[in-house]
Amino acid sequence: MRPTGGESLRGVQTALAEVILPELQSMFAQDAVQVMSMMMESLAGEWDTAAQDLDCDNRALGELLSQAGSAISSLPQSNDSRAALVNEIESVLAEAPADSLALSVLGARHSRLKAVMERVLVELEEAVGQPGMEALDAVRQAVYRHLRRVALRGWSFWDVASFRERMVRARAEAIT
Amino acid sequence: MGWAAIIPCLRPPPGRHLYGSTTLGHNGRGMEDRIAAFLKSRLAAGEVSVSNVYRIPGGASRETWAFDAQWREDGKEIRQGFILRRDPDASVLETDRDLEFRVMDAVQAHGIPVPRMFWLEQDTSWLDRPFFVMERVDGCETSPSKVLMDPRFYVVRDRIGERFVDILAAIHRLEWRALGLDFLGPPANEDSCGMMEIEKWEAIVDREALEPQPVLRAACRWLRRRLPPPAQRIVLVHADYRTGNFLCDPQGQIVGVLDWEMAHLGDPMEDIAWACLRPWRWMGDEQVGGLLRREEFYEKYSAASGLRVDEEAVRFWEVLGNVKLAAIFLTGGRSFCEGRTRAPMMALLGRNVGRLELEVMDLMGV
Repeated sequence: MRPTGGESLRGVQTALAEVILPELQSMFAQDAVQVMSMMMESLAGEWDTAAQDLDCDNRALGELLSQAGSAISSLPQSNDSRAALVNEIESVLAEAPADSLALSVLGARHSRLKAVMERVLVELEEAVGQPGMEALDAVRQAVYRHLRRVALRGWSFWDVASFRERMVRARAEAIT
Repeated sequence: MGWAAIIPCLRPPPGRHLYGSTTLGHNGRGMEDRIAAFLKSRLAAGEVSVSNVYRIPGGASRETWAFDAQWREDGKEIRQGFILRRDPDASVLETDRDLEFRVMDAVQAHGIPVPRMFWLEQDTSWLDRPFFVMERVDGCETSPSKVLMDPRFYVVRDRIGERFVDILAAIHRLEWRALGLDFLGPPANEDSCGMMEIEKWEAIVDREALEPQPVLRAACRWLRRRLPPPAQRIVLVHADYRTGNFLCDPQGQIVGVLDWEMAHLGDPMEDIAWACLRPWRWMGDEQVGGLLRREEFYEKYSAASGLRVDEEAVRFWEVLGNVKLAAIFLTGGRSFCEGRTRAPMMALLGRNVGRLELEVMDLMGV
């Protein structure tokens, strides 16, 4: 269908900036429209790849959780909390992936995986530097690499201002 | 919090000023009579007329309105500009308006430049929600894009930087007990400042996050294992001290420090780190708040405060500062998703947590 969702968002953004904004008298309204325009920028930027990104993230989280489960299980000392965490990992990974690319379905799966990843990462952070926990270091690093990729994604109002130099570095790192 | 000041894209168009604008917006309609009735009750004046009511952009935690009032006192005609801060329907922060009013009122009398505070009103019959009224300082700027890039301010930027440091040191030198600020609840001791703030902001993440937050959770765990050394002194912490939160005149004088709603008692390094956060580095990585180099900031602060800047402690507080900012953004996002606010800024903030996570991971060295 044309205009596509992305084209429509860009069109609304342009209309806000070029048609609506010049008509507004109050500073408050002008700022509200500028914020809406930024929101359109953010949405338009992720429109095309939203499903693909979520699907990739879900696969990556699944792999990382699998690695984390194996690493935690292989630890010489176990305890109830770690055993429960391994059970949670196994349980979420055992769920059959939904046969749908709807954002709501992918998003729900993503939330479940991320919730377990949250608990795993706290456990990994707790284990850093403790004797006998070295097996977890590689997983911890892999998890942070993934989270960095996700954190860099998309558009932010800071990218052209206070995060400008950081984003230049991130792009250079991505190239190398 | 002055989000218009945080985000350069929101800077007022040429000729407009966040403070002292003469723009009359339609959103001020209906407010004049109600504000006039309130002022009449407080000023014991016969007639009070209110005009030029307009809403100032930003103020994500509290609505900010400007207006002019005119009345007669002892046979003399008086005309004054005011700022009114009213509780919003929903906010990025659930803060106590009394706290901001009382702290600003207390420090104003002790050499810290803040606008004069007039009235705190809890009765919702006046303007539907509680509010307070303070002095409007005209002819000044808060917007970082103006303060840092406008030629009028650019030429006095060094002076602004010096004042920025001197005032922070002066805030930290205040005898908060003598000022009656014990009500802020001092930490149990100098050791507990860091943990107290971790618990406060982790609880906000717990309460406000609508989705799992692995980076913020891991950061809280990282912070708990790396508590800073005891505070050299328990001080009044402004907790949002940065470029964008002060009123500056073209002579380079800081004439008003704003946004005290997160003020508390704690470790002075918390304010040092907050001022250094990347989100406020509009003029590049080397410049604290776009004003001065980090080493210079530390040196000048130490000289003015008599306190040593501990870089490891600052790193701890920078990680926590980014977690705190993310928690504030999550609060805004939740308000939007739950329909408690229609402000699109809240949604935009909620969608910008990623860059803060990146900064947290950089600082953690992971």
